[in-house]
Amino acid sequence: MDKLLLKLVYLCRRLFTSQGIDFSRMMTIVETKLTMDKRRVYMNWKQKQQQKENANHLNSILFFYALMGIFIGAVLFAIPSLVLGMILIHSYVLFMMSMTLITDFSTVLLDTTDNQVILPKPVSSKTLFMARLVHILVYLLQFTIAIAIFPIGLAFFKYGAIAGLVMIVTTLLTVLLAVFLTYLLYLLIIRFSSEEKVKDIVTYFQILMTVLFTVGFQILPRMINLSQLTQAFELHWYSYCLPPVWMALTIEAFHNLQFDAMHLSMIGLALIVPTFTFWAMNKYLAPSFAKKLAAMNAGDGIKQTVAVVVVQQRKKQLSQTLSNIACTSLIEKSAFEVTWKMTGRDKSFKLQFYPSLAYIPVFIFIFVFKSGKDIATVWQYLSTTSSYLFFFYVPMLTVSGSIMIVAFNENYLASWVYHSLPVYKPGELVSGMMKSLFVKFFMPVFLLLFGVCLYVWGTAIIDDALFALFNNLFCFLVVANLTEHYLPFSRQPNTQQQSGKFLKAMLQLIAIGVTIGIHFLLIKTNLPWLLWLLAPVMAFASLLLIKRLQNLKWYQIAI
Amino acid sequence: MSIIQLNQLKKQYSGNYVLKGIDLQFSAGEIIGYIGPNGAGKSTTIKILTGIIGDFEGEATVLGMDVRKNPLEIKQRIGYIPEQAALYEVLTPNEYLDFVGKLYQLDEATIYKKGMDLLRLFELADKADMRMNGFSKGMKQKVLLISGLMHNPEIIFLDEPLSGLDANAVILVKEILAQLKQAGKTIFYSSHIMDVVEKISDRIVIINKGEVIADGTFESLKSEAHKGSLENIFTALTGDSGYESTAHDFVDILKN
Repeated sequence: MDKLLLKLVYLCRRLFTSQGIDFSRMMTIVETKLTMDKRRVYMNWKQKQQQKENANHLNSILFFYALMGIFIGAVLFAIPSLVLGMILIHSYVLFMMSMTLITDFSTVLLDTTDNQVILPKPVSSKTLFMARLVHILVYLLQFTIAIAIFPIGLAFFKYGAIAGLVMIVTTLLTVLLAVFLTYLLYLLIIRFSSEEKVKDIVTYFQILMTVLFTVGFQILPRMINLSQLTQAFELHWYSYCLPPVWMALTIEAFHNLQFDAMHLSMIGLALIVPTFTFWAMNKYLAPSFAKKLAAMNAGDGIKQTVAVVVVQQRKKQLSQTLSNIACTSLIEKSAFEVTWKMTGRDKSFKLQFYPSLAYIPVFIFIFVFKSGKDIATVWQYLSTTSSYLFFFYVPMLTVSGSIMIVAFNENYLASWVYHSLPVYKPGELVSGMMKSLFVKFFMPVFLLLFGVCLYVWGTAIIDDALFALFNNLFCFLVVANLTEHYLPFSRQPNTQQQSGKFLKAMLQLIAIGVTIGIHFLLIKTNLPWLLWLLAPVMAFASLLLIKRLQNLKWYQIAI
Repeated sequence: MSIIQLNQLKKQYSGNYVLKGIDLQFSAGEIIGYIGPNGAGKSTTIKILTGIIGDFEGEATVLGMDVRKNPLEIKQRIGYIPEQAALYEVLTPNEYLDFVGKLYQLDEATIYKKGMDLLRLFELADKADMRMNGFSKGMKQKVLLISGLMHNPEIIFLDEPLSGLDANAVILVKEILAQLKQAGKTIFYSSHIMDVVEKISDRIVIINKGEVIADGTFESLKSEAHKGSLENIFTALTGDSGYESTAHDFVDILKN
């Protein structure tokens, strides 16, 4: 697709040269940048498949977006109201473009390698500026086309040529707004924090995006009751603040040829706000943004002290307090604390693991409300069921996944330190890491859900909770014992060959399934004292599993 | 006629002067070693001379042209090799050289031929079509070196050119610099590695905190400082001679 767009740029060659721009140099830069776009690792795509070296990731993403466009476009047929359908589609475009820009374009926007690579070359600043602009435009257009081509096509099909053509314009205007919003966000972040912070915040957006993608596909089909959307659209006062509403009403105005005061003001808003904000951005925001970026990377001379994140304020940290309780030896404590801290700070761990936490509420929701009755009825009778088992056991499904992820780190070479130190019981490194994961990721979730259960079911389930806690610990340790043992953060990323991975995942599921089954049976026996009796048994079994981990020898730990 | 000339060159970042009035003149065909500790203003000076930073006080002329008025012509006739191996890592060496070469307006065939020949000399020919994100720092530095010299510039600016190179490559680069000098090129490079500077520089300028604190041949600097190696001169001149007691304290603390 970029080839096609570049051809269009070539057609405008005259226009550029007449402005004093060195066209061939400009195109060299643009083409190189587009090549690099294709090779970038796209965050939202990362988990879906192991990226191959030569695959064109960009095209796969564009294809995926186009596919989603078909479904979104189908809304036009599902909803009789033109305005409502258009509002949904424009909201979707606005959201997708902003998210794409924030998560992936940040690497382009924040990359200051440009300054070092291109500035020393004989390229005038005018040419460089134009090259950047053309590159961004081509990039944006690629995404716009992928996201909106099917919705627009379907609009042509259902509402005719005029609506379709107007929709092309409104879509482009929406994209302009998305660019402005992204820019504003970056500017705010950069204004108030350091470069590292920017990267952190971008990571959180990436996590949010992954969560929304995965959760959205699970929940939306269950939530949307299409019959509710058939009613006509009502205009509230706040509609004047919502860009998708402007766009939708603009299309309606042209489609129905309605040009009353309301529609005219909407057309006005739709046209003026995006163009004005874009103009203002170019005029006022962009220069200061560029300056901030330049300052970030000026390096020599101004060593900014702000960039240094002060972590340790010499007070006792939570992880230290907890490690004192949970660990038996200094080595174990050290592994506990390092795991705790790294999992909170390492970007790729956060990106891989945190989104999966979002599955917990989703799966609980699906399991608890699966019966097809409406939510209110299920809620009403909830306290008579034993659904709390889902609350107790679902978290382990995702939390146990952290065991696999925690072994990987970009800085994997740093794990030489474990091998060079006089570690007599290397197993304690593994057990410390496992304890840390359990305490950090499982306990808070479990306690929170326990609170929810207390509210719904009352104090009668305390014995179940206690048993479930040790049961979960047992499951977690079974998984920990079954997987290959690695030291924390010691493996190179992208080496997840793992032949027996499927088998292990099955074993893990079976282990959890069996424990839930036992718990369920125990409830059925109606012998409440049995739970109290068995909880210590599970605790003791867990202790044995921890002991086994602690006694691992070097040869049992994979490198 | 001096090829590089600086008059009262000053540069500030938000009120902080990192260059506090530098006056220097260099004639063609010299190898100039520009030394100083981190944050002394080495890179800033080079960035001004190569036209990357246009916002400064004082005068700077390169090849008889004002860097503020004719930055493009200057950039076409000089080569600049930045520190920290800054290049586009997702490209292959061939693609990167093609990209840079085109910006210097060399034609594609020439770029490819020259590029491959030079890569071969650096023993990188077999990696010419592999992406550079797996390259070591030294390998990237070699590619950068080629990309900065491919258009056969008259003056070559190098910012910490030898950092990250292996011992053999260091010898090779030193030899190349010497040969370039033979061919009449001017070489201006910054470094903090003393023994390298000592052996190949015609003239050494030492700066500290934005000011020139020594300027001359190695011999003259030596007689000035009455000490043997340049490292001693350097520490003597920059007032960093407290190392011995620091080292002593270091070992002392270990004992407790």
